[in-house]
Amino acid sequence: MLQPRGDYLTASRVSQQKCCRTLQMKEHMPPSQEDHDVTAEPRCKRRRSMESESCSWNILPVLSEEASREIEMLQAYAAPVLNKKETSRLLREVSALHPLEGLRHLKRVRARRNRESPHPLEMLLCLTLGKEEGQVPPLSELLPEEKVNCFGLGQPFLVLVPSCPPLTRLQFQEASAYWPTSFHENKQVTEALTGQLFSKEEKARMQRYMEQAIEVAHQGAEKGNEAVGAVLVNPATEEVLAVGHDCRRISNPLLHATMVCIDLVACAQGGGAYNFDSCPLCSFAASVKEAPGIGVTDRFDDADSSSILPYICTGYDLYITREPCIMCAMALVHSRIQRVFYGAPSPDGALGSRYKIHTQKDLNHHFQVFRGILEEQCQQLREKSQ
Amino acid sequence: MGNGAEWQRWMEEAFRVAKEALESGEVPVGCLMVYNNTVLGQGRNEVNETKNATRHAEMVAIDQVLAWCHDHSKNPTEVFEQMVMYVTVEPCIMCAGALRLLKIPLVVYGCRNERFGGCGSVLNVAADDLPNTGTSFQCIAGYRAEEAVEMLKIFYKQENPNAPKSKARKKD
Repeated sequence: MLQPRGDYLTASRVSQQKCCRTLQMKEHMPPSQEDHDVTAEPRCKRRRSMESESCSWNILPVLSEEASREIEMLQAYAAPVLNKKETSRLLREVSALHPLEGLRHLKRVRARRNRESPHPLEMLLCLTLGKEEGQVPPLSELLPEEKVNCFGLGQPFLVLVPSCPPLTRLQFQEASAYWPTSFHENKQVTEALTGQLFSKEEKARMQRYMEQAIEVAHQGAEKGNEAVGAVLVNPATEEVLAVGHDCRRISNPLLHATMVCIDLVACAQGGGAYNFDSCPLCSFAASVKEAPGIGVTDRFDDADSSSILPYICTGYDLYITREPCIMCAMALVHSRIQRVFYGAPSPDGALGSRYKIHTQKDLNHHFQVFRGILEEQCQQLREKSQ
Repeated sequence: MGNGAEWQRWMEEAFRVAKEALESGEVPVGCLMVYNNTVLGQGRNEVNETKNATRHAEMVAIDQVLAWCHDHSKNPTEVFEQMVMYVTVEPCIMCAGALRLLKIPLVVYGCRNERFGGCGSVLNVAADDLPNTGTSFQCIAGYRAEEAVEMLKIFYKQENPNAPKSKARKKD
């Protein structure tokens, strides 16, 4: 595992950047025996061995369109506050005239960036909407005298302001470079984006689930199906509930791996629409099925039991080698899945690529989606079936 | 592919199937799959019965057509490409995806599906450009739409005993 000394010296001279990349990869590595070896050595010496191992992967949250896009900017007029003592009065009068409805995230006053300026504050006046670009109108036009006493304000100028509130730290940084905004940070999203949401142990577990999905995908492909595998997990018990591979060749063109897992859960709950006898690898965990209180056929008839037993896939996680299609993604909405983890994206995929069904407005259920677990192997699987 | 009178006739049959669903405590949606003027599949919503939230009328009817193809040694691809689906409510996003994957060319439906519709109401999976997801399909909407809405209203007025308790309801 250890590289020769000479290799380390070369690697360390190559570039600082590569070294950083290695460190980052290290962060996302599942725990392995490597974690126990010499920590005193700089990590870049292990760069080569890291890259030769295919288990380096990165987990990324798939956020809504609003949270992942670049923030649009609007043109607005601002003016320097020449007399600081007038600030609160001006703020009151300007806000009354131009309330900037729908732009509540914008702070009205900002500290001027140029610290040597004699006028440390600047005030946002109004949007340029409907006005000609380029020419900045005089204060008297923007703030009619009878509404605002402009004493204390300097000459207006054009600024760009973010059109919507930032949802992620990245958007916040981008937005506030133009004009200060308020930001109600979702800590979980930030942790997910910086790769800190899941612990090493969790990532190791995720990797095992995905390895199982990859394994069953291979086995399904040997029977002529698309190489797609899925594993349904109850995160509360860390138990694998169902394992399924794509069955479109051997039985039904709509039996994608996701649909198989959904029906396996239904079977275990005393329902189900398909018989998987011809695909013995597609199975529901026997231990869970036989456990008391779960999978009882009459669970819907007992009103009291409904509070402890899940409604279809409520609370469950799906691990799937490739991004689900639109049919499967919506099937997961109907099934009330809790989270989906997929390896490689699909061109028409509906959990990030083409649609983001899990964040789709108007739908009655939303869930979290993460991509990138064992992406390389999953990508190879995808290419294999094309 | 047929005319108004023919559509009317098949839709009437689809409504009969939808009524069955309502009487069984399922979402009242009925579906018919017609090939060469013959019904090869008919389905109603079976979500509660199968405890599988994907068992919509369309999916049930599709499975019947597949079974028919199997029994008659027909190639499903060729059969579905000549198929007209008659359904009382606009197919949901999932079913619209399934219809694309099977390359069903035409769907005649009753009322819009404001909650989950995949043919324009929430998304337009029917018409969107998805080169890796079968083919787009045509829709003819509005046949006996009021009747279809009325059935849905009756259903949603009843409590769905199988749905998880909503947070809003707990406050009562």
